[in-house]
Amino acid sequence: MISQIIPSAEALPVNWWWFQVLLIVTFLLHIILMNFILGGSLLSLWDAFRKRTFKQDSMTIPTLIALTINLGVPPLLFLQVIYGNFFYTSSIIMASLWILIIPILILAYYGAYIYVFKNKKTPVFAKTTLTITAVFLLFIAFMLVNNNTLMLRPERWEMYFANQSGWQLNFGEPTLWPRFLHFLTGAIAVAGLGKAIYYHFKKKIPDKDKNAEKTRGLKIFGFATMIQVVIGIWFWLSLPENIWKMFMGGDLFATIWLMLGIAIALFLIYSSTQGKFKTTTFLLVFLLLNMIINREMVRYAYLKDAGDPANLNVSPEYGSLAMFLVVFLIGLGALYYMIKLIIKPKQT
Amino acid sequence: MNYPIWELPTIGGGTLIAIIAVLHVFIAHLAVGGGLFLVLTEMRARKNNDQGLLGYVKSHTQFFLLLTMVFGGITGVGIWFIISLVQPAGTSFLIHNFVFAWATEWVFFIGEIVALLIYHYKFDSMDPKNHVVIGWFYFIFAWLSLFIINGIIDFMLTPGQWAETQNFWQGFFNPSFLPSLIFRTGIALSFAGLFGLVTASFRKDKKLRSRLYKLDTKWLLVPFVLIILSAFWYLAIIPEDASANIMKFNPEVKPFIHLLITATILIFLGGLLFLARIPKGFQRILVFVMVIIGLGWMAGFEYTREIARKPYVVYGYMYSHGVVADSAEKINKEGFLKTAKWSQFKEVNNENVMQTGKELADMQCMACHTLGGHNDLVSRTNHLTERGMEAKLSGLGHISEYMPPFLGTDKEKKALAAYLVRGLNNKEGASQSSEFNAEKEKTVIPEFNEDSDYVLMAWNDLGMHCISDNSDYFSFLPPANTLWAQLIKRGPKPTVVSEGVKIKYEVEEGYKNPGEHVNFWKNAKKTYGVDLKEGIGLAGKGLTGEMNQNTHNTFIAKFIPVTPYKDDGSYNPYPQFKIIAMDKNTGEKLASTKVVAPNSTEMGCKNCHRGDWRVNDISGMADLTAENILKVHDRIEGTELERQAENDNPVLCQQCHGDPAIGVKGKENILNFSTAIHGFHANYLTGMDGDACNMCHPNDPSGNTRCLRGRHSRLGPLDCTTCHGKIEDHALALLKHEEQYGKKRVAKLKNKLVPRSVKSYKDIKPRQPWLQQPDCKSCHTNFDIRNIKKAPLGFNRWVSGSSALYRNRTDTHGVMCAACHGSPHAVYFGKNMYSEDRDNIQPLQYMGFAGTIGVKGNCKVCHTKEMKVNGHHRNMIKKDVIVKQPGPNTVFKSED
Repeated sequence: MISQIIPSAEALPVNWWWFQVLLIVTFLLHIILMNFILGGSLLSLWDAFRKRTFKQDSMTIPTLIALTINLGVPPLLFLQVIYGNFFYTSSIIMASLWILIIPILILAYYGAYIYVFKNKKTPVFAKTTLTITAVFLLFIAFMLVNNNTLMLRPERWEMYFANQSGWQLNFGEPTLWPRFLHFLTGAIAVAGLGKAIYYHFKKKIPDKDKNAEKTRGLKIFGFATMIQVVIGIWFWLSLPENIWKMFMGGDLFATIWLMLGIAIALFLIYSSTQGKFKTTTFLLVFLLLNMIINREMVRYAYLKDAGDPANLNVSPEYGSLAMFLVVFLIGLGALYYMIKLIIKPKQT
Repeated sequence: MNYPIWELPTIGGGTLIAIIAVLHVFIAHLAVGGGLFLVLTEMRARKNNDQGLLGYVKSHTQFFLLLTMVFGGITGVGIWFIISLVQPAGTSFLIHNFVFAWATEWVFFIGEIVALLIYHYKFDSMDPKNHVVIGWFYFIFAWLSLFIINGIIDFMLTPGQWAETQNFWQGFFNPSFLPSLIFRTGIALSFAGLFGLVTASFRKDKKLRSRLYKLDTKWLLVPFVLIILSAFWYLAIIPEDASANIMKFNPEVKPFIHLLITATILIFLGGLLFLARIPKGFQRILVFVMVIIGLGWMAGFEYTREIARKPYVVYGYMYSHGVVADSAEKINKEGFLKTAKWSQFKEVNNENVMQTGKELADMQCMACHTLGGHNDLVSRTNHLTERGMEAKLSGLGHISEYMPPFLGTDKEKKALAAYLVRGLNNKEGASQSSEFNAEKEKTVIPEFNEDSDYVLMAWNDLGMHCISDNSDYFSFLPPANTLWAQLIKRGPKPTVVSEGVKIKYEVEEGYKNPGEHVNFWKNAKKTYGVDLKEGIGLAGKGLTGEMNQNTHNTFIAKFIPVTPYKDDGSYNPYPQFKIIAMDKNTGEKLASTKVVAPNSTEMGCKNCHRGDWRVNDISGMADLTAENILKVHDRIEGTELERQAENDNPVLCQQCHGDPAIGVKGKENILNFSTAIHGFHANYLTGMDGDACNMCHPNDPSGNTRCLRGRHSRLGPLDCTTCHGKIEDHALALLKHEEQYGKKRVAKLKNKLVPRSVKSYKDIKPRQPWLQQPDCKSCHTNFDIRNIKKAPLGFNRWVSGSSALYRNRTDTHGVMCAACHGSPHAVYFGKNMYSEDRDNIQPLQYMGFAGTIGVKGNCKVCHTKEMKVNGHHRNMIKKDVIVKQPGPNTVFKSED
């Protein structure tokens, strides 16, 4: 019965690995920025209410939202290429809530701008909008976690027949809450480090303040990561038995890869509390990549029987891939050139 | 069907797509054109060192960023989200086929965002030259993202060569790519001016403001040249059916086309107003009005484009509801529900008709329709009966290709029709239509004097004449029954007499005032072009009178205007006429008989075209029905017949659609009446047998006429289609005849009809209506009685012309076929629902049983003795023929 309702998949223009790799790379970029805005808005909220201060780094939130949305596009695109039949179905089951993401994101985005623009003139209003932005971003994160867990579980899709108006969430899914908290804690940790990065590059600020902010950012990171280790293990063990066991000897690469990730996380707790900014930053990027690959392995394991992307038909169309790669390289060149132009001193 | 359906009955997924898409596209075009506007205006300001203008550019940039990047950017993602929820199959198709085009577009998108962020945040702190370079980067990236999206959107409307090759590049650089790219670039530039006016209206410096208005108005109006020229190019390139969707002004597109045209004019005029000197406050209000008009313009255009593409989401490849067109055959064979992955019921049975009907509606209708909202399914189906709904479903995608065809089995079609009619419209179902119970009458047979010198034969030429009895709206069949008679002088060598005698006719009591029952005479001048005295027919005959001499030694009374309505309010479509032959000179009565003049107003139009019976809930075409028919005609053909009827100027259908039946030539290049009406309706009645005919003609087995009542009606499996062919074949033969004259409409009507009795269209023999009918001899070869199981069909074996028709033929001695065999559709011996032997009067009168005149050794009816040879045609002397004794309600009574 379950295999009967899984929509049939479509042919790919090139081997699925292309999409898998592109998905991993672009998702890494997206998730870093997403962490900055979700964690960043929560930390700004903390600063605004608890410390009653406006931190300069909050200024970056609106710009980062723009880039986060933009970088969310390719992973969502590549996901739809190799797992579209699962993803569209789960999206439809929660359609009404899923589409709410759009107006809510617009409001969250404008909220962030209002916070930045109106912080000085009307602080109460600005704080209110920041709160709304943070809550809305949490809502979006929760929707994404719901959809991404629901797409993995065709056996739960029959809930659709109970309510077809798209107001159901994936409550009852054991991984839902640990997964959400895993992302949330991660976002706070990465945003903490993001603050440190911001102040590291920030000019026109006294060294004393710069160092204090960097240390604070690293501390936030370290503390959140400590909590993350516990939540991570909870998340891991909430996965179906065959999947969590895959990471515990079931599959050699998966086991080594996860252990490597845990080891890096533990090291990062140490390095961040020691104030090692550069080591922490570089290792974190690697850790995020490690976790994203774990995530893809989990997804693959979940859906292997229902729809292994390796089995998808390929009707080769390399020309369009070549177009993309060429344009991508030119695009990178153009971005590099534009950024170089900013740095160039103004000639008067 | 692959995916579940998101139930949004009132709003409708399509409406949500429209809202998000129109908002996005409005801003997205601005994002492209505005880029060029910013950088060119900045260059001008810098070149002239115009600080006022530069300040304007800076403030416009912030407004532009907040509008395009936030609102434009997210609504763009929003379109993607909403289409994947409402149209997952189409989205998946576009994603998979164009994944690297989308990925490329994303590269342009990120370039656009980064450039715009730099352009805004570094407006003052960058080197001006470099800042301008960034401005150009922004515009180029923005335009390139339009370039990509344009390819994919146009692919959906004009896939071109892709349909054969599935080649990415041919799909992308499709036929409408270029006109659309120019068109959209034009819009983008114009919108730059439109939004330029917005920020300009907030500049405080009056002089600057008026300079800016001039600049912005130029941007707003000049691109119109580009827009209008490319629009014509665009229209010329899209498929014929797509432009028909738009140009035919169908009810859905009408408001949007009007919106598009009105908004174009208003924008133009509004733009000109900015060049005039008007107060500041008014200008600011006008700006916002203009923005709203611009949004309306965008909605008008995008909606029109979407409508052009119907019934597809990818033209020719995937229907609006996400089913790939090629899979239709498989679905029709196996069943829609069985092949739909997310159907709860896999098969229709007696218990689940409404549930399966709803599932089918959700999956096939709700992609475009809503319940109570835009494109409301309820109001669009409430004029139909359940049978009409079935017909409508059968014809979807046939005449107008605006909607996809119904996909599924006949059972599924019936279930959907039941749900739409009973479930959504709370109407009674088909099963509840009540059977008409005729009041049984006695048949009085005139007694025959064995010593009589004469025997009189009389018959009706068609066996049934239908009347369109609401000529306040239109007319195509007047009350006009034609009776024939032959008088035979009995004897060993009988002769057909035509000299020295006269034959009178008189209708039975109760039918003498037809003018009280139908509005034919009121409208005769307007419809038939003649002023007629009430009760007088088109050939000058009344309800009583004298027959005229005719060819073949026959007598004829043409177009007697009898109707089935009786003066006491009852209904009987078989009025009897007394026929009396007299000596012309002495007036002596030579012979007499009776015959029915069958005529019916039981036209099944109301089965589909709403309304009830016009007269006493029995028969006739109600105003509502007639009006609805004109509405449909007006809508499809662009006529104004409804308005004409309202202005008391009803038409004769044959004024345009020529018709040999009433001898009207019609207009050149327009289908003859029979072809038009059968060709059109056949598209809605496909796959049916005799029940298709009964939908319109008075032969419904539970109806008030039951036209087929002769000997053939007693032979189990025979129905209309045995002789005339299945409705598709019947229509195709008529259409093929008209095709010879190069009539344009033929193609549209025949395209979706699949021949059923022959292999292909080329095997169909063209047929002229009325003048060519199935030849009796195609079954009755050698005038023999055929075993029905072995007999060939009558279809495609047409008589050569009018003179060879059963109703016009004689034997070698000049006796008309019908004289002995009876009227068509009622050949002796028949059964009539009003009184069993009403159509058997003469056999009973002359032989005492019902059967062909002369059988079972009854040559004596004319010959006064038994004959041993086949005098009239071969194989006529048979002893073993089946005949019928008089029924219980039949009485013999002397006339004298």
